Amino acid sequence: MATYVQIDPTQKLEPFKAVKKIPLEEYFTSGHRTCQGCESALVMKMMAKAAGPRTIVLGSTGCMYVANTTYYSTSWVVPWMHTQLGSSGSAALGTAAALKALMRKGKMKKEPINVIAFCGDGGGADMGVGAISATLTHPDYNCLILLYDNESYANTDIQLSGSTPWGANTTFSTPGKMKRIMHRRWKKNMAGMMAAGHPECRYVATICMSYGLAGMNSIRKALTIGGPTFIHSLDPCPKGWDYDPYQSHEMGELAVNTGVWPLYEVEDGVLKLTGRTQQIAAGKIKRQPVRDYLLKQGRFAHFTNDDIDYFQSKVDAMWEKWLVPGVIPFRREVEEDHPPA
Amino acid sequence: MGRLFAIEIIYRGIYQKTLASRISRAIVLAAHQEGKPGISFGRYGDSPERNGIPAKNFAIVGTDQETLEQGMAKYEPKEVDITIAVDDTLFKGVESWAWYGLQPVNKLLKPGGTLIVTSRETPEALIKMAHRKETPYQLAIVKGTPSFSGLWVYKDDHTDVRILGAIAKLLPELFSLKSVQKAIVNEWKDPVKAESAARSCERISTTEVMPNQGNPEIPYKFEFPKWHEMGEGIAIPSIPAGRAVEDPVSHATGGFRPDRNPTFKKFTTRTMRPVVNFDTCIKCTLCWLQCPDSCFDVTPEGLYDANMQACCGCGVCEAVCPVKDCVTMVNESEFGDNASQWEDWKKDKAAYKIWLEDKIKTRSERSHGFRYRGQYEEQIPEMLRIAREG
Amino acid sequence: MAQLATVLEDQRQTDETALITGSEAIAVACKLADVDVITAYPIRPYDTVMQYVSKLVSNGELDCEYIVAEGEHSQFEIVKHACAAGARVFCGSSGVGWMYAMEALTVTPALRVPMVAMVGNRALDDPGAFGVEHNDALTVRDLGWQLVWVDTAQEALDTALIAYRVSEDRRIFLPCAISCDGAFLTHSQALVQIPSQKKVNEFLPRYNRADLLLHPDNPITVAPQGNEDWVMEIRRQNYAAMERVSDVLREAYDHFERIFGRSYGNPFFEEFETDDADIVLMGMGTLSTPVKVAIRKMRKEGKKVGFVRMRWFRPFAAAELAECLSRFSAVGVVDRDYSFGSPYMSGVLATEVRSALYSAPGKKPPVVGFIAGLGGREVTVPDVERITEGVYNAAQGRPQPLTQWIGLRE
Repeated sequence: MATYVQIDPTQKLEPFKAVKKIPLEEYFTSGHRTCQGCESALVMKMMAKAAGPRTIVLGSTGCMYVANTTYYSTSWVVPWMHTQLGSSGSAALGTAAALKALMRKGKMKKEPINVIAFCGDGGGADMGVGAISATLTHPDYNCLILLYDNESYANTDIQLSGSTPWGANTTFSTPGKMKRIMHRRWKKNMAGMMAAGHPECRYVATICMSYGLAGMNSIRKALTIGGPTFIHSLDPCPKGWDYDPYQSHEMGELAVNTGVWPLYEVEDGVLKLTGRTQQIAAGKIKRQPVRDYLLKQGRFAHFTNDDIDYFQSKVDAMWEKWLVPGVIPFRREVEEDHPPA
Repeated sequence: MGRLFAIEIIYRGIYQKTLASRISRAIVLAAHQEGKPGISFGRYGDSPERNGIPAKNFAIVGTDQETLEQGMAKYEPKEVDITIAVDDTLFKGVESWAWYGLQPVNKLLKPGGTLIVTSRETPEALIKMAHRKETPYQLAIVKGTPSFSGLWVYKDDHTDVRILGAIAKLLPELFSLKSVQKAIVNEWKDPVKAESAARSCERISTTEVMPNQGNPEIPYKFEFPKWHEMGEGIAIPSIPAGRAVEDPVSHATGGFRPDRNPTFKKFTTRTMRPVVNFDTCIKCTLCWLQCPDSCFDVTPEGLYDANMQACCGCGVCEAVCPVKDCVTMVNESEFGDNASQWEDWKKDKAAYKIWLEDKIKTRSERSHGFRYRGQYEEQIPEMLRIAREG
Repeated sequence: MAQLATVLEDQRQTDETALITGSEAIAVACKLADVDVITAYPIRPYDTVMQYVSKLVSNGELDCEYIVAEGEHSQFEIVKHACAAGARVFCGSSGVGWMYAMEALTVTPALRVPMVAMVGNRALDDPGAFGVEHNDALTVRDLGWQLVWVDTAQEALDTALIAYRVSEDRRIFLPCAISCDGAFLTHSQALVQIPSQKKVNEFLPRYNRADLLLHPDNPITVAPQGNEDWVMEIRRQNYAAMERVSDVLREAYDHFERIFGRSYGNPFFEEFETDDADIVLMGMGTLSTPVKVAIRKMRKEGKKVGFVRMRWFRPFAAAELAECLSRFSAVGVVDRDYSFGSPYMSGVLATEVRSALYSAPGKKPPVVGFIAGLGGREVTVPDVERITEGVYNAAQGRPQPLTQWIGLRE
């Protein structure tokens, strides 16, 4: 059979076997100007560590641009370049295409170089979704797009995005005297959409760096498998979610254990729930009530019990009614939806 | 020309954003009660604020409109009558995320100006922390635990009005207590808050700080390059890879210390720092791995030493550490330097143990904002008690 | 056999002539320049260049990554990043497509990315129209783009080669937009001399991203967020780079003439019948054809009219132009664009010409602005005669509007 996809070899990044086997070297280091307890900065650190030194990183506008790289100052050890808010897909594609052409034409030494473009939820789930989608349809280029999702436009002062959870307080959805719930949209299902919508994309995963080893191994797999890949990371944000930053790690665990944030990977079309999510789905552990998660965050401080119950019912539906629980929201029959007034 | 009054409020980004803007607004509104025009604004460059990283607000008031216009500044005034630090660990200095170099907390104070701080520390302890200033200034302490809350839920523990009451006493030419109380009632419709302001006004006292007092260190400065000295294409060199760590006693090398951003340090971002018990550490890696600031140097024997130029004091290391009291967050005011704890431990383990126990014992509880619903309601009565009893 | 091989080799080494459109001429330039990454997205009239590129790629004549993007914004962002990673790139658009890419166009100069792009000039929506107007390309005039208008397919090909050479010169590293009038140039075929690969290789060195290469062997951080402490210095660097373009352009045109034997004279603007002219007309792009025809006709009638065709709009050769124009008693600038609410409601070129004259030493002839040929409307010989009449009136000091619409139904 003819091979239509012409792809260069990738780096073979074996999974880290255990936390103690993780290399000591950092490729994204300290001195960034992020908030105390910034989980997105942690994602950058682990992403760079997982990818290793022969990597180029492209960063679209957002906290991980403005706070990490404030002119004359950087935290990157590996080469890094800014890209526009909606351009993570294009930045990855353009850089990968250049490497491919230059190496093929003998203008650059041949070697597999990782290309990673990251975007926040504003840049990825809102403005840049078209470009990311396009890139995931180009089978010939090795690149990873990593969406770090802190569930708001955090850098511009916490405005709601298509990835902000229902009802959350943001500077564009402040609860008032007449309207308690200003943000009435449910969070966009980005990873599911990317996996379902791009059948030739070989790897899509969700991660949370509270489970750092698994997250890094997911990144290593995405860079090894070949072709364009997509990872969606949920990053607790002490500023926008309004919690004491020492709880950052715990907040990620709560998101997973309450079932709000399912962990899974879709590899060559095969879905596999991972980590705690797998255990929840297998009935080995029980989903924690979302109340435990919501009450620890100031952004939900205005929620009434009805609001919390509604939130719970939506998460329950995701696990009990979706045809592919936690991933694809198709259902067998129409159901009514009654958000609190 | 009339008289111009400038007041700056230095605060912890996000945690004290609402507090600082309430103080700054109320200053202008109280002065307005006496017919003095004014403006209130945040330092634009500090926005977007980052949790914990110092930021500034300003209130500028003139005895008349023309004087006010003379004093209007976009970013910050050159000198101020009063500096308000709503967190005492800011006495170690101010380094905004958006600028370069470390600014002493008292830098903008006019000779004889007043530095107001919310603190439970003694004047002596506070003076030691602040950098020395060429001219004398006054220190005034509004007693209380620095008030921290998050972006969405405000902790109304009366810190705002107690500072306003203190200003009425310390700078009566700006406004009287009566004007402050009127402004408070207009703005917050709360007579109890007006009473808190009065008590604070009555009780506040000052200590004079002389040029030979304070931290003698010359604060870190940054020289801006000229346009033709900067690289083209907005490109700057990346950070070099790190290197192995040297044992101060055996001189063996091993482990790893990442190179760090030379132009931004977290010395003034921190309100707490971790102290590490190297004797009980089980080398589980979690503090090192989960630290968003890559602040832990890995020692040759595989221990983790929090490097103070990179630690922002978030407390994640303490939260993830599985061993009791192995990593403990301690109030930053307890420390006089940024030395390596591991090196101290290597040099004298017995002395380190005594030091460590002392630090853990004196740790004061601090919360960095919202932990759970109902937490502020539990904390506010204690602050109100201090406001009442002094 | 040996003889045939020699003939074939000779043919490879010598120029050949082909009947191609302006768009195709630029595609041929891409092939000769051995461009590495090209991105396409459809919009008329520029897309004809990409249709031809696609054939060159499928026939194996051009070895590049040829990417069809999902919109112009991505189209330009992809090549911007490819160029930062060391690839020679080509891209292009027209009308609102160019505007859709505006964010990418804005950031490219400060990144010092020497992208070469073609603008197939097209009227901006609304109303949607396919014909030429220059407003699309002119939107980048303040941003650090080099901007050039060509008027023949030959000039399109030659200018593309010159554009790569100048843009990729380490002293410059600025993007360049080559403007080609929709339809008149993009879609009409003309005989074009295609230079040999050998000559092109001699003229055009390989793109070397040098110290700005984004590669693990050259770890740099590119384009961190700036603030008031830095932005002026960064802008000043771009100012310096644009200031250097004129000299580098002159060098390139000189070298071009030596290698290819074709001369463009003054690189910045072309003068036609100006030696003894009383008055001159000015304009950009394919407007030159009806103007030149009309001038030949009017010369026979004894009117000493000349024409100055601006080629390089950025950088704008203000001093040279002012010196040139000081020889005439009046200037008529024909704009195929508009700038509503501008000084005297003139078009962009007229405003720039007045501005160039104002601060120059020497005589300042009166400048009358004309708006003509919008949306691709033909500018006819009688139109040019009417324009000329207005310019003569200005020379004689007769009062008249400083901006006049020509070829309008009124």
